[in-house]
Order: sequence, then C-alpha cells, then structure tokens
Amino acid sequence: MRLTLPALISHGRVARRIGLGPQSRINMLRNILTGLVRHERIETTAARADEVRFYAEKLVDYAKRGDTDEKAMKMATFWLTEKDLVPKLFKVLAPRFETQSTGYTRTARLPNRQNLDRAQMAVIEYKGHPFPPLYPVKQDNELTLVNQLLKGYRQQQEESSTRPS
Amino acid sequence: MVTRTACQLLQRRFATAAAGSARAPAPGGRSQRSAVFSREQARQRALYPRIEKIEVSMRGPGLDGTLLVMNKGMSTPLSCARHLTEHHVSSSALALVDGEPWSLHQPLTQSCSLTLLTFKDRDPTLVNQAYWRSCAALLGQVLETAFKDDFAVELLGTPEVPVTSGAFCCDVVLDPQLDSWTPSEESLRSLTRGAQQLIHTDLAWEPLEVAPSVALEVFAHSRYKQEEVEQKAAQSPKGTVMLHRCGDHVLLSVGPLVARTGLCSQYEVTALHSLEPGPRGLRRRAQGLSLPLQLQAHHTVWRKLRQRAEKLVEVPTLEEVAPPSAPDSSPPASGQPVTTSV
Repeated sequence: MRLTLPALISHGRVARRIGLGPQSRINMLRNILTGLVRHERIETTAARADEVRFYAEKLVDYAKRGDTDEKAMKMATFWLTEKDLVPKLFKVLAPRFETQSTGYTRTARLPNRQNLDRAQMAVIEYKGHPFPPLYPVKQDNELTLVNQLLKGYRQQQEESSTRPS
Repeated sequence: MVTRTACQLLQRRFATAAAGSARAPAPGGRSQRSAVFSREQARQRALYPRIEKIEVSMRGPGLDGTLLVMNKGMSTPLSCARHLTEHHVSSSALALVDGEPWSLHQPLTQSCSLTLLTFKDRDPTLVNQAYWRSCAALLGQVLETAFKDDFAVELLGTPEVPVTSGAFCCDVVLDPQLDSWTPSEESLRSLTRGAQQLIHTDLAWEPLEVAPSVALEVFAHSRYKQEEVEQKAAQSPKGTVMLHRCGDHVLLSVGPLVARTGLCSQYEVTALHSLEPGPRGLRRRAQGLSLPLQLQAHHTVWRKLRQRAEKLVEVPTLEEVAPPSAPDSSPPASGQPVTTSV
C-alpha cells in the first residue's frame, strides 16, 4: 500500500467514511446501487463507485439464490429502493451472471468533475450491458497480407483435421 | 528492433550507392533484352520534347484536395509522393490513378486523381496481389541467374495465385540434364540468398507499356514467352503489353508490380516441385514466401507459414473463365483485341 498521508493518519483503519454516519453511508450506497441496477452503467465519485462495487456483487450473489429464497428477497427489497427493479434483478441480472462466479462489475476512472470540488470521478457498470464498450476494442485489419496468409493457414489446418474422418 | 531496421536501411543506402554507379554487363541475351528495353524507354520519353504541365489531385487521409502541378510524361506517382513526405515515399507500394492500378514508376500522361496505396490500408487487396506478383517475378529472376551457364533455364511465367494459397509460384523448365535433380535444403537456401541480395540492392521495377512487336523482339529467345505476349496482347483492351525491368532482367506481367525490391523484407524460397512433363521438358514449380518491410512476422508465425508454403500450390485452371457462349470458337489472331461479353 502507498505511504500516502491519509493512509498513515488512519493508522491501519481501511473502512471509508461516507456521508453523515454509518446509517447515512448505507442509505447513500442503497440509492447508488438502485441507480446502478436500473441503468447498468453510472458515473459517481471514485470512492462511492469503489464502495458500491462490493454491495453490487453481493446483491447479485444473493439474487442467484432465486426469488423463492426468503433471505434473497429480503435483501433485494431492502437494497433496491424502487421496487420495480426487484423483478429485473432476479429475472435479468441473475441469469446473466449464471456462469460467472465473481467479477460482475467493471469500474473505470473518468476526468475529474469540473465543479469547484474537482472530485475524482469513476464509472461503474454491470458486465454484459448493451452499451458500447468503455475501452473500444482495436480490431486488427483482416485484409492485410499477414492476416490473409494466416487465414489460409487456419483453413488448411481445419481441412486437414476434418479430412481423416 | 528500431536500431535493427535503422541498420538495415543504412546498409541498403550504401549498397545502392555502390551498385548504382556501375552496372556490370550481364551474360548473353540479358544485356540485349535490357538494351531493347532502354531503347524503347528512351523513345517513349522523347515523345514529350517540351515540358507540359498537368494537374494531379491527391486523395487519401489528410491529403484530400491537395493539388500538385507535375510534368506530363515525366512525373511518376513516386515524384508526387516525394513532394509530400518521406513516409509517403517509403511506405507507398502502388498507386491508383483515376481508380486504375498504376505502378509507382510509370509516368503520368494527363491530369488525374492520385491515391497512394500502402500495405496497411483499410483494403489492401490490390497491393497484396501486386506484391505477390512482384515476389514471383523476383523468384523468376533469381532462378534465371542461379544455375551455371552450361544449363539452360526457361521461365514459363508466373501464374496468378491468390494470397490465401500460402505461397507465390514461378513455373520453370530446366535443362534436360537436370531432370533427375531434386533440390536439397542447401540449394534452396542459396536461392534464398540470391533473392536476399537482390532485395538488399533495392532495385526498382521499371514499367513500360509497349506494342507487341517490341515485346516479341525482347523475348526472341523463348517461343513460350512469345506465345504469352500474343495472348496478353489479344486480351488487353489497348493491344499493348506491360513489360517490367528489374536491374537487367526484363519480364512480362499481367498487372502492376510494387515499386522496389527493397519493400520485401522476409523472403524465402520454400520449394521446387516437379510437375508433369510437358512439350518443352519437365515443368517445375518454384514456390516462395515473403512479407513486406511494414508487416514483418514473428519467427514463430513465420515458421508456421513457411511450413505451409512448402506444400504444392494448385493453380486454378482457366477453362472455367472463358464464357461458353462466345460465337467465335477459334483462337483470336494476335494484335486484334477480343471483345468479351461481360
């Protein structure tokens, strides 16, 4: 861990303080998490995005238990303040992440907010959303000479593997 | 890696400076063919005694709308590139003049729009095909000079092969004394070294559009080449034939070739297969693999592609190309253009 002044002053305590107190922190994170479930990609300050990430992934883990589970339904109704998102959580987000065990969210830094506070901003999203990617994938040109030769090579390998059948 | 390419470029510059000053006389018919080519080239240049200006408008990323005033019959797309930047000169392999593929060293004859094509464009299909043709031409040149003077070598031409087939080919008929000879790895490596020497000297492929009579005079030593000239003259719309010269070797080609031999970087002659014996002797197919300077492959990738290039490449036969509904079934006479119904 970096020897920053806030890190040294905290004397090893790593819990972040957000809002007016622990209850205010939970309420704020609840609102942010509701927004994340509704829009699947949101922009907040970097600290809040980092905090909500843990709760977002835990919520999906609970949702994977299914909506018949008592505890899972209680969690979902507590954390999502807009109740029309509870079916979306169980019917859309949980099946999407069925095959994965961790890593349902992705964060990326943004330029600092232009207000007086110049806060560090971040974007947090659930993977598998329909929007364009945050980091655009650079496609290699299929038609260059090397790629055409490799394409022919791959075709020939497939033919030779399917022929002795 | 940067220093390696820099060293290569420096070596090439010194080599061209040394070699360009004195051209050693080539053996036998080669110097004659080269002399005929030079004569025709000088005659075509003399058709423009006074300097007339033409306007060339450039197309391309960052160049749209650039208007260059060039000389008619003297300026080539390469000279247009020289007016831009050194990157354009070193990276451009082919040019598109009014949508038509044009060799970089062929003079422009009228006001037109010019696009310089490189290996890294969005659609480099034309450039890839031209590069494949040029590498096959280089292979032919190497084969002609590789054997001792006691053995006769007849080049049969380079068939048009798509790039995905894995290797470019050059068909050749060797001396009957060599019918039982199969090339060993050492001989293939020495052929590769000959090709690398040509690449190192960075010779330009000079194009020339000539009437079939001049081409027949150039290829007076080979009956097969003369037939090929007549065929190509019949197929072309203008009735002319495209010759290219690289150093002292004059060759016939279907389409434009890339600018210089120095554009190739990785070049290897991979195989020499024996095909069935024809009317002239045992036909052999020499195959090779090459990649340009801007698209070098890692040695692992190169090894895999090279292994594939050792296998025989089947050339697609041309019987399906000719339309079956043509009324004149007899072969067209030389010099008369054939009108094919599209």
